[in-house]
Amino acid sequence: MAEPTRSFLTYQGIPVWRHAVIIKWALQMVSAVAVVTLVFWFFSNIAFAINDREIPFGFSFLSRAYGTPVPEHVLPYESTDSYGYALIVAAVNTIVLAIAGVILAILLGTLIGIARISSNWLVSRLALAYVEFFRNVPLLVQLLFFFYFILLLPPLAESYNPFGVMYINNAGFAVPSPMPAGETAFAIAWGVVALVGIAAGFAAHRSLSRRETLTGRVSYPLTAGIAVAAGIAFAAWLAIWALAGEAPLAISTPEPEGRFGRIEGGLRVRSGAIVMLIGLVMYTASFIAEIVRAGIQSVGRGQTEAASALGLRPVGVLRNITFPQALRVIVPPLISQCLNLTKNSSLAAAIGFADLTNVAITMTQTAPAISIFLIIMLAYLLMSLAWSAVGNLYNWRTRIVGT
Amino acid sequence: MATARMTPGADLPPPRMTTGPAGWARANLFSSPGNSATTILVGAVSLYLIWQFLGWALGPADWSVIPTLGGTLIIGQYNSETVCPSQDCFWRPQVSLLIGVTFFGILWAVAATALVRGVALTVAFVSAGMALMPLPFSEMGMDVRLLLLLNIPAVFLGYWLGKHTPVSSTRNLIIIAFAGFLLVYILLGGTVFGFFDVPGLQVVPSRYWGGLTLNLLLAAGGITASLPLGILLALGRRSNLPFVKFTCVGVIEFFRGVPLITLLFMSQTLLPLAFPRDFPLDEVMRAGIVITVFSSAYMAENIRGGLQSLHRGQTEAARALGMPPWNTTIFITLPQALRNVVPAIVGQFISLFKDTTLVFIIGMFDILQIGNSFIGSNREFLDNSRELFLFIALVFWTINYGMSYVSRRVEETLGVGRR
Repeated sequence: MAEPTRSFLTYQGIPVWRHAVIIKWALQMVSAVAVVTLVFWFFSNIAFAINDREIPFGFSFLSRAYGTPVPEHVLPYESTDSYGYALIVAAVNTIVLAIAGVILAILLGTLIGIARISSNWLVSRLALAYVEFFRNVPLLVQLLFFFYFILLLPPLAESYNPFGVMYINNAGFAVPSPMPAGETAFAIAWGVVALVGIAAGFAAHRSLSRRETLTGRVSYPLTAGIAVAAGIAFAAWLAIWALAGEAPLAISTPEPEGRFGRIEGGLRVRSGAIVMLIGLVMYTASFIAEIVRAGIQSVGRGQTEAASALGLRPVGVLRNITFPQALRVIVPPLISQCLNLTKNSSLAAAIGFADLTNVAITMTQTAPAISIFLIIMLAYLLMSLAWSAVGNLYNWRTRIVGT
Repeated sequence: MATARMTPGADLPPPRMTTGPAGWARANLFSSPGNSATTILVGAVSLYLIWQFLGWALGPADWSVIPTLGGTLIIGQYNSETVCPSQDCFWRPQVSLLIGVTFFGILWAVAATALVRGVALTVAFVSAGMALMPLPFSEMGMDVRLLLLLNIPAVFLGYWLGKHTPVSSTRNLIIIAFAGFLLVYILLGGTVFGFFDVPGLQVVPSRYWGGLTLNLLLAAGGITASLPLGILLALGRRSNLPFVKFTCVGVIEFFRGVPLITLLFMSQTLLPLAFPRDFPLDEVMRAGIVITVFSSAYMAENIRGGLQSLHRGQTEAARALGMPPWNTTIFITLPQALRNVVPAIVGQFISLFKDTTLVFIIGMFDILQIGNSFIGSNREFLDNSRELFLFIALVFWTINYGMSYVSRRVEETLGVGRR
C-alpha cells in the first residue's frame, strides 16, 4: 500500500488542484465574485450617475395626478386620476388586447393549420402561402401597413355603412351589440347568474356523459347541458324583467348623433385597437398554424387509419382521435406563442393604441423615464410568469401517469 | 390432348381520369363532392381577390413613391447634405457591401456546396443588378453603378482567397467575420470608436446611419455575436455548478420575459448611465447590444433543446475514452446538438432580422422610419403609403424566405432526421 508521499495541500488524500469537489467550489467562487462585481459595478455606476447628472428617478410620481387622457380604456378613467392608476388602466388594455388576440389567433391558426394538411391541393397551398408570407414579414411592417390602410378609409361623415347598422371609417368600427338597457347593476347581476348557469351546464354535461360511458344508457349530455345553461340564464332574465320592469340587456345599434355625426351606441372599437388586433392575430396565427400542423402530423398514421376503419368520418377522426392526442404536442409551443403575442402587443407604441408601453412612453415626458420603464418591465415579467403558470398547469394535468 | 391456349388480350388503357392533369385534378381537387365544392368556392374567392389585387397594383396604384425615395431607403440620410457636406460618402456603404459579398465568396470556397455557391452568387448578382436600376443619372451616377458592378469580381475574389490563402479554417473564418464587421463599422463611422478619426474620411455619427443598411448591419452584428453568446448561456444553464446555472437561468428568463421595446428604451436611458460620460458607446452600438442579448436568450433555449435531444451515451462514451469534460462538450456534444437545431437557429436569425425594425420606435432611421417619416412630411404621398409598405414588406420577405430556404437545404445536406 503506497501511502501518499506528500500530504501537502491534499484533501481526502487527493491534491486540491485535482479534487473534483474543490475545483467545483473554486469555480463557483470565482464566477460568483465576477458576476457580483460586475452587477455591483453596473448598478453603482448608474446610482452614481443618477445623483451626479441629476437624472430624475423615484416613484413618488405614482400618486400624482396624470392629467393626460388615455384614449382607449376598459376601466373607467378620468384625466384627474393618478399616474399609478393610469398605468393600471393601460395594463388592463394590454391584457384585454392580449386575451382577445390569443383567442382569435388560436382560432385562425388552428383553421389554417388544419387547412395546411388538407387533401385538397388548393386549400393546402393557400394555407402554405399564408404562413410563408405572414411569418416572414416583420410584425411592425404589417402593423404600419394596416395602420395606413385604415387611415385611408373614408372619414366619419362618409362612413361605409354595411347593412345599415355598422359604421366603418378611418376612426374605427362600430357594430351593434348587447348593452345594459337600464341599470348596469342588473346587467352585471344577470351576467353573473348566466356564468353560473354555464358552469351548471358543463357539470350536467360531464355527469351525463360519465353515466353514458359507464352504463351505456343514452343520456344526450350535450343537449341536456345546453338546456340547463340556457334555462338558468332565461329564468334569471325573466326574474330581472319581473323585478325591475326592464330587460337586463338590449341590442344597441350605433347611430350618428349630434352636429358632427359622432357615432354613439353599439360596440365601438377605435382604429388603433383594430390595427393591433388584426396585425397580432394574422402574424401569430401563421406561427400557430405551423405548430398545429406539426402536432397533428405527430400523431401516428395508424391512429387515423384505425379510426377510419371503425367507421368514423374524417371530421370525427380529427375531433375525437387526432386532436386530443396532438394537443399534448401542441400546447407547450402554443403557450410560448401566447407569451410572444402579449409581448408583441407592446408594438402599439408605434400605432397609437393606449397599451402599457404606449402610455409609458407618453408618461416619460412628465415623469422619470427609468422608473416608468422599470415598472412596466416588471408588469410584462408578471404577465410572462402568468403564461408559464398556465403552461405548467397544463403539463401537470396532462402528464403521462406511471412513467 | 388438346391444350387450351390462353391468348392475352390487348392491354387495357389506364382508367381514364387517373393519369395526366385531369387525373391529378381529380385526385387532389375533386376527390369527393365536398372537396369539389371547397375547391370551387375557395378557388372563386381567391381568384376574385387576386383579380382585385392585380387590378389595383397595375391600375390605380402609384408605385412612383419607391423610386422617389430610391437610395434613401437603402442608406438613409447617409449621403445627404447635412451629414456629408461634400456628398461623396456613398461609396462607404457600398464598400461595406463589397466586404460582405467577398465574405460570401470565402464561404463559397470553404463550404464548396452548390447551395452556398448559389447563395453567394445570388447575393453578388442581385447587388450588382442594382446598378441597372432605371433611375436617371442625376439620381444615381456612373460612379455608384460602377461600385455596384464590382460586386461580381468581389465574390470571385473571395472564392480565390478561400481557395488559395489560409483563411479557410473555422477559427480564421470567425476572426475574419469579426474583423470584417469592425472594418465596416469603422468605415461607416469614419472614426475608430470615437477615439481618433480616420484621416480623409468625413465622420458620420451613427445616428445618421439608416435605411436597409442599418437593419442589415444590426442583423449581421447580432447574428455574429448572439450565436456564441447563446451557446455560452445554454451551456451555463446545463452546468452542474448551481451558481452558474441560476445566473444563466435568470438572464435567459429575464430577457425572454420582457418585450424588446422596453429593453431598447432602457438601452437609450439606463445603459449610458453605467459608463463614463464620454465613453464611446453610441446609439447604434447600444441598440445592437440589447438586440444581441435579447436574441441570444432565445438562442440559448433553442440550443438547450438540441443538447437535451442527445443521448446520454454520447457523453458517457467520451468520458470512457478519457476525454475531459470541456473537450467532450466542444468535440462531441455541441456539434451534434447544433446540427439538430439548425432550423431553430435560423428561425432565430430571421426573428432577429425582423426585430431590427423595432429601432423605429426609439427613433432610429431604419428602413421603416425612412418610409414612415417620408410619408409624414410629404402628405401628397399619403395615398401611396400602401404601395410603400408593401414594397418594404416584400424586401423583408425576400431576405427572410431566402434564409429559411437555405436552412431547409442545409438540413437536408446534414441529414438531420435521417440517421
